[in-house]
Amino acid sequence: MMTTENELKKIDDKIKLLRNTAEELKSLAENIPAITRNTTRLLASVKMMELNISDCIDFDI
Amino acid sequence: MADKQNYWNLVLETLPLEKLQKLQLNKFLRIFQWAYNNSKFHRSLYEKAGITPDDIQSFEDIRHVPKVEKSMMRDIQKKDPFPYGDALCVPLEEVTEYRQTSGTTGQPVYQPDTWQDWEWWAECWAYLLWAQGYRPADRVFIPFGYNVFVAFWAGHYGAEKIGCEVVPGGVLDTKSRILKIQELRATALMGTPTYILGMADTARNQMGIDPAELTINKITCAGEPGAGIPSTKKRIETAWNAKVYDHAGATEIGAWSYECSHQPGGMHVNEAFFLVEIEDIDTGEIITGPGKRGKMIITALDRVAQPCIRFDSKDIIEWAPESCSCGRTFRIIKGGVVGRADDITKVKGVLLAPSAIEEVVRSINGLGDEYEVIVEKAGDAEKITLKVELMPGSKDRRQSIESKLTDQLRLKTNLRYDIIFNDYGTLPRYEVKAKRFKDMRKK
Repeated sequence: MMTTENELKKIDDKIKLLRNTAEELKSLAENIPAITRNTTRLLASVKMMELNISDCIDFDI
Repeated sequence: MADKQNYWNLVLETLPLEKLQKLQLNKFLRIFQWAYNNSKFHRSLYEKAGITPDDIQSFEDIRHVPKVEKSMMRDIQKKDPFPYGDALCVPLEEVTEYRQTSGTTGQPVYQPDTWQDWEWWAECWAYLLWAQGYRPADRVFIPFGYNVFVAFWAGHYGAEKIGCEVVPGGVLDTKSRILKIQELRATALMGTPTYILGMADTARNQMGIDPAELTINKITCAGEPGAGIPSTKKRIETAWNAKVYDHAGATEIGAWSYECSHQPGGMHVNEAFFLVEIEDIDTGEIITGPGKRGKMIITALDRVAQPCIRFDSKDIIEWAPESCSCGRTFRIIKGGVVGRADDITKVKGVLLAPSAIEEVVRSINGLGDEYEVIVEKAGDAEKITLKVELMPGSKDRRQSIESKLTDQLRLKTNLRYDIIFNDYGTLPRYEVKAKRFKDMRKK
């Protein structure tokens, strides 16, 4: 039933990449609200993926 | 064993208990640290108790963390920053959502949420809707007056998140809502048990439409205990020819529990997102095993703007002994929320839960859905009056109905009632939280 640890790690790597990319984008476009506000919303979605997967990796569950 | 497609997130929903508890402990520490660092209220509360984040290593340590009550939130919100007060953990400009409690028990409490919190609300709902069989092909009708109360707002966003088509019932009246369900062939519905029963009644008796012949196949009920009361659930399921699922949430807490499609006789607690503790009302000890009712103390493990840490919800619950055939490892609370600590009251020296009366009234054929209970002083004694309605066409069975009602009430509640039969349609109808229990002794 469980997804393997290796699969979870790969998913987590991509989530972390998404966070880094979104944060970089936010700082690059700090004078463009159309980008920064959309990035804020994107980061909220990234957080949900972290709660769903990354927490298990980060807390060594 | 159910297949992977039955879970919104099979990773968390099937975690073995030991791992789930490790996750909860780590997440509790994270939210505690966050509140300690970012809220004057929380830091002061914990400093007074002599607790710092370093002191939390186990569930036993968590039990020493001071509880927060709704009355405390009312005091906090008299302080700056307006209007939320110093439990707020983020700058005001990060708050994107305002909601408030219904005010049933006093001055409403304001609830700020960031966009991340709002995503989290929808995520919690996604767990519950997926577990209840909602899928992208569903067309969900929400007959809710979208306003300052959170109610089904998050259900709307949660249904969107899982890919459903959502029809906002908004300010339409009940008849227009029924016609819209019929016109669009909606497949699912959300509402309070009282209102969903009322809709069925309106359809049948005022519009000549049999709700069982509409296309609704599942209904999510929240806001009242009704969908967890077997006789009420059965009435709704029969009226709509649909599966009815219970859900419990609260403005200050979030969407913390849900019945799954296996209908195990209770609700799963989303233990990946919430830590639920059950406290013995008399001793204050934490009840860890099944079979004993107590008061829920709950922590939302991921809510950041106005954290909910060891909130004294006053909801009465108990752990079920069984696991669920759906395969989720999230524990079940038996029968859902069975009452509230401030509703369960002693009458004639006997503990009385209003939900027990509802269970009896709605189990009797020939009685309408509505009822009213009035407890009052009669000299030195106490008297309970129960008002019920006879269904049209049931008048000739009044004696046998009264006899059955009296017997069942005596059996289920150990109390005697003065029963008044009202004409059908004369007791109050409610759209949101019903107020059917009136304790006049306190006046």
